[in-house]
Amino acid sequence: MNSRLFALLSAALVLLPGLPTSASQTQRSDPETGAASWETHAHGVTLLLSQIPPDPARAFYLNRGFPPQAVEPYATACVYMTVLRNDAAPGELSFRLDDWRVQSGGQSLPPKSVEAWMAQWRALGLTEAAQIAFRWAQFPPEQEYAVGEWNQGMLTTGLPPGSRFDLIARWTVAGKTYEGKLENVVCAR
Amino acid sequence: MSFVRAESGMKQGLFTLLLACMAVLPGAAAAADLPPLTQGLTPIAEPKPAPALRLTDLDGKVHDLADLKGKLVVVNFWATWCPPCRREMPSLERLRVRLEKQGLAVLAVDVGEDADTVFSFSGQLEPAPNFPLLLDQDSKAMQRWKVKGLPTTFVIDPQGRVIYRAVGGREFDSPAMIEALLALTLKQ
Repeated sequence: MNSRLFALLSAALVLLPGLPTSASQTQRSDPETGAASWETHAHGVTLLLSQIPPDPARAFYLNRGFPPQAVEPYATACVYMTVLRNDAAPGELSFRLDDWRVQSGGQSLPPKSVEAWMAQWRALGLTEAAQIAFRWAQFPPEQEYAVGEWNQGMLTTGLPPGSRFDLIARWTVAGKTYEGKLENVVCAR
Repeated sequence: MSFVRAESGMKQGLFTLLLACMAVLPGAAAAADLPPLTQGLTPIAEPKPAPALRLTDLDGKVHDLADLKGKLVVVNFWATWCPPCRREMPSLERLRVRLEKQGLAVLAVDVGEDADTVFSFSGQLEPAPNFPLLLDQDSKAMQRWKVKGLPTTFVIDPQGRVIYRAVGGREFDSPAMIEALLALTLKQ
C-alpha cells in the first residue's frame, strides 16, 4: 500500500495541474487523490480520461458483489473514467470503441471490450446483479450523441499499471471520420 | 491471493472505509472538473410509440406508462452509482414541481439495484424525489428502450410517442428546458 501511495504522490508531483501537453490537450491531477486526468477538444468534441487507480476500482466492484479474485484482473487493467461529449460537432456523431486505438510499445489495439469482460464474468458465474452493475458502469461500446449529448463510464486499456500510451478516439459525423488524440497517458499504479 | 486478506488490521479498516465511500463510480473528479450538465433535449425526427414500461416502485406498487396517456411523461433511466445521474436527479424533482400542474409526470427507472439501495440514496437528495422510483432489476426495460448508457431520458407525448431523448446528464429545471417542456404541455 505504501508503494502505491508513493507512486500516486509522485504522479501528482509530475503532473502539474493544467499543464498543456499539446495544442489542445491538458492534464491535471486531483489534489486529494493524486489521480491524473487528460482532456482534449477536437472537432467540437471533448474527450476526457481520468485515472481510476486499482484500490478505488477494487472497492467499487467489491461493493457490488464481485469476489476479490474476480476484481483483481479488472482493477489492474489500467482503468479510466471516460467522458466523450458532443459539444459542437457538425452534427450527430456515432462511434464504436472497436475503432479506437490504444498505442503503446509499438502496438496499436482497441481498448479491452466490455464483451470480453462480460465473458469472463459469465465464466466465473458472477451474480446477475453484479454483471448488470458492471455492464452499465462501463463506457458504452457504441453510441450516438447529438450536440449536447455525452456519457461517462469506465474504460480499460488492458495495459499493466504504470504503462504509458496514446489513445486515438474516432467518431463519424455524416459519414466523415474524425479523430481526437490523447498523448502520453499514464496508467495508475 | 486475496487482496483483503493481505491487508493488516489498520489497513483493513481503511479499506472498509474506502469501500463504504465507493457508492459512486470512481474517477468522478471534483465538481469544477465535471462535464457540464446539458440544458437541451434532442428531438426525435420520426416519433414512434414508446416501448412498454410496467415496473414496481420502492413500495411494490405497479406503475404502467400506458396509464399516463394524455400526460407529457419524462422517463429517466439511472442508477445510484452513476455520477451524472446523481447530479441531475434534484433538477428532475424541481422540474416535476414546476410543471406537474400543467400535466407533466416523471418516472425514474433505476437499473439493476434493489429497493433498499435506491431508498437510502434518495433520502440523501435535496430536494428528495417525489415521483415514482421504479426498479428495473434485470435491466430488461432498459434493453427494450435501447438505452446504451446512463443516464438516458426520454420525453413521451400525450399520445404515447417518444418525441425527445437526452443522453447524458441534464439540468432539467434550466430555463431552456422548462420553456421547451412547458410549450409541450400547453399543446395538450
